[in-house]
Amino acid sequence: MTDYGHDLLFGAFVTPAAEPAQRAVELTVAAEDAGLDLVTFQDHPYQPRLHDAWTLLSYAAARTRRIRLAGNVLNLPLRPPAVLARSVATLDRLSGGRIELGIGAGGFRDAIAAMGGARLTPGESVAALAEGIEIIRQVWDADRPGPVSVAGTHHRVVGAKRGPAPAHDVRIWVGAYKPRMLRLIGRAADGALPSLAYLPGGITDLAELNRHIDTGAEAAGRDPGAVRRLLNVSGRFAPTGRAFLDGPAEQWAEDLAGLTLEYGMSAFVLSSDNPDVLRRFAAEVAPATRELVAGERPERL
Amino acid sequence: MVLQIGALLTAGAAAGLAAHAETLGYDLVAVTGAADGPDAWTALSWVAARTRRAGLVAVLPRPPRLPAVLGHAAATLDALSGGRLTVAVGGPAGELAATLDAVRGVPLWVTGDDPGSADLAGRRADGLLTPLPAAVPAALPAAASAGASAAGSAPAASAAHAAAASAAHVAAAEAAVAAGRGAVAVRRVVVVPAGAAAADVLPLAADVVLVAAGDAAGLDRFAAEVAPALRAAPAAAGAPARRRPGIDRDAVPASLTAVAPGDPDYPRVRNTYLRGGRPGIVLRASSAAAVADALAFAAAHPDLPFGVRSGGHGISGRSTNHGGIVLDVGALNAVEVLDERRRLIRVGPGARWGEVARALHPYGWALSSGDYGGVGVGGLATAGGIGWLARRHGLTIDHLRAAEVVLADGRTVRADADTHPDLFWAVRGAGGNVGVVTAFEFTADPVGDVGWARFVVGADDPAALLVAWGAAVEAAPRDVSGQLIMGPTRPGRPAYAQLMAMVDNADPDAVVAALTPLAAAGPLYDQQVVMTSYAAVMDNAAPGHHRGSGEPVTRSALVTHLTPEFAAAAAALLAGGAAHWFQIRTVGGAVADVPPDHTAYAHRSANFSVIAMGADAGRLDAAWAGLAPHVDGLYLSFDTRLDRVADAFPPATLARLRDVKRRYDPGALFRDNFSVGDR
Ligand SMILES: Cc1cc2nc3c(=O)[nH]c(=O)nc-3n(C[C@H](O)[C@H](O)[C@H](O)COP(=O)(O)OP(=O)(O)OC[C@H]3O[C@@H](n4cnc5c(N)ncnc54)[C@H](O)[C@@H]3O)c2cc1C
Repeated sequence: MTDYGHDLLFGAFVTPAAEPAQRAVELTVAAEDAGLDLVTFQDHPYQPRLHDAWTLLSYAAARTRRIRLAGNVLNLPLRPPAVLARSVATLDRLSGGRIELGIGAGGFRDAIAAMGGARLTPGESVAALAEGIEIIRQVWDADRPGPVSVAGTHHRVVGAKRGPAPAHDVRIWVGAYKPRMLRLIGRAADGALPSLAYLPGGITDLAELNRHIDTGAEAAGRDPGAVRRLLNVSGRFAPTGRAFLDGPAEQWAEDLAGLTLEYGMSAFVLSSDNPDVLRRFAAEVAPATRELVAGERPERL
Repeated sequence: MVLQIGALLTAGAAAGLAAHAETLGYDLVAVTGAADGPDAWTALSWVAARTRRAGLVAVLPRPPRLPAVLGHAAATLDALSGGRLTVAVGGPAGELAATLDAVRGVPLWVTGDDPGSADLAGRRADGLLTPLPAAVPAALPAAASAGASAAGSAPAASAAHAAAASAAHVAAAEAAVAAGRGAVAVRRVVVVPAGAAAADVLPLAADVVLVAAGDAAGLDRFAAEVAPALRAAPAAAGAPARRRPGIDRDAVPASLTAVAPGDPDYPRVRNTYLRGGRPGIVLRASSAAAVADALAFAAAHPDLPFGVRSGGHGISGRSTNHGGIVLDVGALNAVEVLDERRRLIRVGPGARWGEVARALHPYGWALSSGDYGGVGVGGLATAGGIGWLARRHGLTIDHLRAAEVVLADGRTVRADADTHPDLFWAVRGAGGNVGVVTAFEFTADPVGDVGWARFVVGADDPAALLVAWGAAVEAAPRDVSGQLIMGPTRPGRPAYAQLMAMVDNADPDAVVAALTPLAAAGPLYDQQVVMTSYAAVMDNAAPGHHRGSGEPVTRSALVTHLTPEFAAAAAALLAGGAAHWFQIRTVGGAVADVPPDHTAYAHRSANFSVIAMGADAGRLDAAWAGLAPHVDGLYLSFDTRLDRVADAFPPATLARLRDVKRRYDPGALFRDNFSVGDR
């Protein structure tokens, strides 16, 4: 029963299909017009049927004015952290502070190795991600004197210039499921971004995920509440309720509000390439969920 | 190539200046960035979304750590921008190969002015970008050299730089020629400060001028004061025909649909099956009148490359180009039966041979064509047409009864045995030289079920296999046509060849009898024999637009007999590894029944047509030279050496063809593909 009290975000998880080339861009614009807060793209640079996520994010950011954008999640083994940090900062400045950094340790090891990325064990991936985050934060910390200096095992950036700084405090959200990675999030990241579909036990697994994140945060002397809990979800609008996120919009709102109030989830990223579904999510589900959550949260001072 | 003028911007300034540069008429927006500053790729992706027409150049000072990821990103940005991307990459030449391999389907430039970069650009890239000594353009005061250079006295350092740059461009052109690509394959890209004067820039004889500008004022000044002089200047001495005027899209006649860089369709029309291109404009015509309009438009741009495209499968790839005009008659793709009794059909140049076969099948007919259903009618039926029915039914052109041709002067004429007989003669073997065929009238043949076979045979002794197969083919009845395919032989690996054959005979026993000697040419590893239809065999093409990239490199020859001497030379070619594809098609038979002077395709006595494909023209030529004593002539559909007209056409044919060309295309409007014209 943990609600960390964050404002709620509603986003879209749009397939970055390579063809038709503009489809993902059109959906991004549709998501913005619908009033969603966030658009995200998966990142599989070894998959020719998908666009390169970073290029698409940059392009789509230039075609929108308000909506925030993030990778869901960017593949760190194929995106050297110093380059990634400067890319994110560049785009954050161009877009007026609308970029967040969704990042992950990369799932498909063979595909990553085939593209020239390092083949890491799960344990090494955690260490590599920790080093990556440290490099990214140092690059962004442009006003601090002295160069970037992270002499990691997997990523080594020593003596490079800092900067540019992003336009706003870019949040680092990590796609993760395993205890060590979750503790790392608690220690060093700003959010966790798992997909509900990948949780073997479904919703109830979220408590376990939270516990690891909270442990990591506390061990590092951080407030667990500083770490946003985001969730990729999928669902279906139907006239009558049948299952979790399978029913009318009002039921969706109840389902999601429950996730906020009981599991502390504060961002829901809906996987859909259907503009009508995105519109309903923004117009019907988001306000109703916000209302339900506000009704249950204690008045703030 | 068109002279292009681009704005070279830093990643930090690009978003603010790119749209302005486009409005000022800059052809390109190039974005660069230092490794420890704002990211150039990100800024260029942003710029792509905020511009419409300008070409986009990512100027990467160093090769990326993960070239494959850049390759994927480049495909994305090119697709999102409507095919506007070029990637320029710098760094030690030895470290660039992986990037050149990984980034496919977009033009690539190498950045540098050292010999290694020049050589690499000449061999492998589409341009050589010689940088300013100070690589970061923001460091350049916009007006720094304006005064000095107006007086014609550029500072000594910049004169030295200009000398190094032009030496590098010369070296790149030489490397390109040595690699068999032709000097103009590599664009000369130079960087000049925004304060430069026309007098500074003209001697550089550049194809692309990138103006390093730090602010709008610099861009404004160059656009207003220097660009017009550059565009108006004639080709500089020593750089003949490199500089060409732009294309005025607004002047395109209304009968045509234009597709230019930046249009959503552009990525689908820029390339051909085998060759990557970036035409300045593709004009789609759907009537003979529209073709005439397109020819007038092309004639108004005499210095631009001009390609004619039907199905886009030309092996020399001249139905695309870089910066020029392409006339696409793919929409003229009807297949009609004119007279069922005489089996007379009318086919548009844009039809594909698979479609033609499918349309004729219900009548029990077939028309001898090539081996691949995706190939267009226009290119093949103007060159020859060597396919699965050749030995029984002759070449495709041997079935041509008349052609509707739009001539260089815009007239549409009918060419047949009685009207314009010379033109009719030329169309059959050298059609690309004399006009644009907008309709073909053919007589089809009655063709029933056919036998269709594929064998895989051992080729540990490739020479013996070739001799045995050649003899079996020559001894086979005319029903049998086919081909042999081999790849490079690798030590320690079992070598094999694929043999394919069609038997135009509906009797399965006759098919087996005809095929048995062929299959015995080598130890049989695998076999597949079916009774089927010509249309089913030709239903072998993948749909979708063309994704060719780079420059194809092929060599063609015609051979009378596969003698032991020829076979030994071919085996040596395969062992050397310079050819990754080696194929022999059967001709002879009915093809040889037609006298050599009857059509502009004159190689009637050959029994075999040979093609080899390689990656490196220099290496392939060295290997191919071994075959020369044993072969004769070439089939222009199968060769990328555009200047080998004397091999494509024997002396008497060439003389007559030149005469026809002088009369029907005196200005050599059709000059991009094995031109026999004077230009
Ligand atoms: C996979 C493949 C298999 C092939 N197999 C065979 C084969 O078995 N037998 C064979 O003979 N050839 C074969 N070819 C070669 C083919 O015949 C030629 O490349 C032919 O030019 C392709 O025609 P197209 O219309 O598709 O090509 P395009 O690229 O559109 O045109 C090629 C050239 O033909 C000329 N041209 C095109 N249209 C016209 C027109 N309407 N009027 C006048 N000139 C025109 C132009 O010079 C142009 O550059 C093959 C090619 C490929 C790629």
